[in-house]
Order: sequence, then structure tokens, then C-alpha cells
Amino acid sequence: MNKLILGRYLPGDSIIYRLDPRGKFLITFYFIGIVFLANNVVSYGFLLLFVLFSVYISKINLGFFIKGLRPMLWLILFTVLLQLFFTPSNDPIWHWGIFTLSTDGMRIASYIFIRFVLIIFISTLLTLTTTPIEISDSIESILKPLKVIKFPVTQVALMLSIALRFVPLLIDETTKIMDAQRARGVDFGEGGLMHRIKSFVPILIPLFVSSFSIAYDLAIAMESRGYKDGEGRSKYRVLSWSRRDNIALAVMILITIILLFIRSY
Amino acid sequence: MENIISIKDVTYTYPESKVSAINKLSLDIHRNEWLSIVGKNGSGKSTLAKLIDGLIESESGRIIVDGQEVNEQNIWNIRSKIGIVFQNPDHQFVGATVEDDVAFGLENQGMPRDEMVKQVDEALAMVDMQEYKTRDPQSLSGGQKQRVAIAGVLATKPSIIIMDESTSMLDPNGRRTVLNLVKQLRKQQDMTIISITHDIEETELSERIVVLKSGEVVQEADPKSIYNMGSELIKYGLEEPFSNQVASLLRDELKLPKGYLNEEELIQNIWKLSSKM
Repeated sequence: MNKLILGRYLPGDSIIYRLDPRGKFLITFYFIGIVFLANNVVSYGFLLLFVLFSVYISKINLGFFIKGLRPMLWLILFTVLLQLFFTPSNDPIWHWGIFTLSTDGMRIASYIFIRFVLIIFISTLLTLTTTPIEISDSIESILKPLKVIKFPVTQVALMLSIALRFVPLLIDETTKIMDAQRARGVDFGEGGLMHRIKSFVPILIPLFVSSFSIAYDLAIAMESRGYKDGEGRSKYRVLSWSRRDNIALAVMILITIILLFIRSY
Repeated sequence: MENIISIKDVTYTYPESKVSAINKLSLDIHRNEWLSIVGKNGSGKSTLAKLIDGLIESESGRIIVDGQEVNEQNIWNIRSKIGIVFQNPDHQFVGATVEDDVAFGLENQGMPRDEMVKQVDEALAMVDMQEYKTRDPQSLSGGQKQRVAIAGVLATKPSIIIMDESTSMLDPNGRRTVLNLVKQLRKQQDMTIISITHDIEETELSERIVVLKSGEVVQEADPKSIYNMGSELIKYGLEEPFSNQVASLLRDELKLPKGYLNEEELIQNIWKLSSKM
């Protein structure tokens, strides 16, 4: 479970870390959107350069980003291979049964591959440089306008931050339960599919039961500390928007303009 | 002495149980007192703490905290006066970092941020945890977590602190640190301490011990008289203090004085005897 790089935070201190999390969050989603604007070699190359530059100024080892690709590897391979062999073409290089290999197919497959790399790198950059709590803070402030339609923004934000806070606790709990069950002879990851699924029951049931009891204890503790319903609370953590966040936004606008230009060129 | 909490004929039965957890219990707690509540598992100690804070509602009887009756209207007022430190530190953390957690109670009061920052710093300084401010609670040791939980309670400046078996998960060292801290704070801030425990050694610092059994008060006296009961304590599911056990083993041979001796007195007595020999 420790191998999972997706959603993990790496402490550090570079310009990317110091950006406002709200800006980073929005920029990441915006960037994923404009990746689909790219349509030729130059535009993909340009975006790839931009992402690699961002990784460079974040001062995080590129290895972490490559590790971030790993869980998605099968999806990437599957999609790339599908594009590679099933793109219809009038001028195939190689043809066998339903499989066709053509220059068009190769081009589209490599675009798809780069698109995957871009999206995964940029979202890994967000999670590596932003603590989960900063992410939940930014979600809260981004959702704030929804208060108009009576959406319970503060409650959802608290729920989110409690959920995030309990992830490590529940991981610890799971490891403990797994070890305890192993000590009593349960074999995880052995035997056929049915057997494997069955062996997870002795983990899941205690995990659910302990989650409920933790939730009960926490609710009592929160109430005893004066938590009513999320209204009328002040905030200890504040986000501050500074000049560099404006610059980051300006860079994004510039990139969009350049991209639109290259695209139609 | 002025009563800060007075409990009159309170009864409470858990919905899923047939026997009352608290049975016609009456108890007065004085201002600035350190009271220990002891008893077996299931004797109603924790239920009593929850009743005082209004976390559960009694079936009958009245509870008055600092002049106000515990009921729907007063409940938030009363909760702001009482701080409870619960048993399992892992289960009471709300914040993702130490400072966030300490600030939680203050956020609930709607305190402005500048003031909050000051209070959080002060509270963390009291428990000597400033350097862990930005740490994730999961990365702390049990004793440190408990200290942060106490800081969270202290930050709101309560006049009553209830410690609900809050040292039961600590090692002897951590326990000593936490208890000394509470002792010191009580003196400085004029607080009332209610300590719920089933460890008899922990009650030595208190001024009065209340023994609960099946939701009723069965004994109520200062620590020395309670310890004097000697082996009778076993009836209430309590162990004799260690120095008592040693004294009763040595009493016949060394002609020790009757009654409870604390560790220091026991050492003095043995010392005198051996110098006579």
C-alpha cells in the first residue's frame, strides 16, 4: 500500500509548493481540458515541454512521476495498442486479419500516449505538491458559490477533511487486521478468485465495525468540543492569493493562446 | 465549599440494555476540586461523564453545572465550560495537523483568526508540543497524541476538565507526564478536575475518590481512607495500591503501623526498622 504514489504528498519547498492551492487545483483541471486542444506534433511537443518544465521547477525527482504512471500502465498500453492496430487506413504498412498497422495509426497512438503522460504528470504534480487538507480547503472555497442553491458547502468540506484525516488511520487499521488474521491462518492472495474474494471477508467486516466505532467516538468528541452544525464557525487555516498566483494564471492564458495558434497553423 | 456540579437522583438506561447504567445517583463536585471516579468496567463511570456534558440525556433527576441546569437551552453554554479528554486519542482527532486539531474548539466558538493563532500557540506551549505544530497526528506517539488532545481542551479555557480514562492507553512514563501536567494546570488556572479511571495508583493525586458500582455511589472519601480499606477494595473491582500490597506482606514480620502507607512512608518505616536492628 505504500507503493501507491497517486494522491501522495511529498514535503518540499519550491515555487510550485508556494502557489495557492485553489489556483493549482483550477489550473490542473484547466490544463487537462486544454490538452485536448492539441492536434499536431508541434502542439503536443509544446505541452510536453511545458509539463517537463513545471516538473523541473517543482524540484521533485522525475522518478516519482514515472512511478505515478505505473498504476495506469495497463490502461495506457491497452488504449495505445488499440489505436495502433485498429486505425483504418487506405495505405497500411502491414495487414493481417483484423489488424492494420499504418503511419496514421502510429501517429494517433503516440498522441494518445503523450496525452496520458501529460494528464498523469500534471495531476501527480498537483498531489505531490499540495497536502490533502489544502486540496479539501480549495474544494471548499471553489464550491462556495453553490451556497446560493443551498448546497451544504461547509459540511461537505468538513466531511472531506475528516475522510482525508482518516485515510492513514484506516490503512494502519487494515494492516493490523490483516496481520491478526494472517496470524490465525488466513491466506491472502493465494488460491483461486473465489477463494481470494472470500479471504477478504475477515478484513472487511472488522474494518467496517471499527470504522463505525471510530465515527461514533469522533462524533461524541466533536460535540463535546462544541461543534454544532458548521454554521458560525471561524477558520484557522487561511489561503492567501499572491502575485505569483496571478502570474501562474497569466502563463495558462498565454499557453492557451499559443496552443490555439499552433493548432490552426 | 461551593458546588460546581451537582447531580441529583439521576437515572440513565441505555436503549439496548435492561439494567440502568446510572441508578438514582447523587453527587456534588466542588469548585477547584480534583475528584477521582473509580469502579469496574461497566460501573457507569463514562456514562456519568457523558451525562454531565449533556451528550446523553438522563431519564430522571437533575444535573446542574455552574448554576445552569443541563437541558436543551443551556447545553452549548455548559459544553463551553467543560472539556473532556477521551480514552482513545486516535478517535478524537478532527484536524489533519496538530494545530488544526487544537484550533477546532476555537473555530466552533467563531473566534477571530488572530486570537485563535495566539491561543493555539499558548495551549501547545502548556503541553510542551510547539515543535510538533504542523505534524500529522498519525505520526505522533500515544503520549504526544494525548497531550495534543489535552491542548485542544485547554485552548477553549474550560473551568472543568473531565479525563475519561485518558491515560489508560499510555505507558507509565506518558501517564506520569500527563498527570503532572494536569496537576500543574489546575493550580495555575483554578480548574476543577474529574478523573475517571480504573487504576487506583492514578487516584493518589486527587482530593476525593468516589467509587461506583452498578451505577451507584458505594464509597466516597479521601484517598487515604479509601486505601485504608485494604483488601476490601477487591469487592469493588479495584486493586490495592502497590505500597499496600507490600506493606501487608511485611506487616507481621516488621510490625508496621496499621493503615495506608504511601511509598515514601513505607520506605521510611523500613528504613527505621533496619536501623534499629
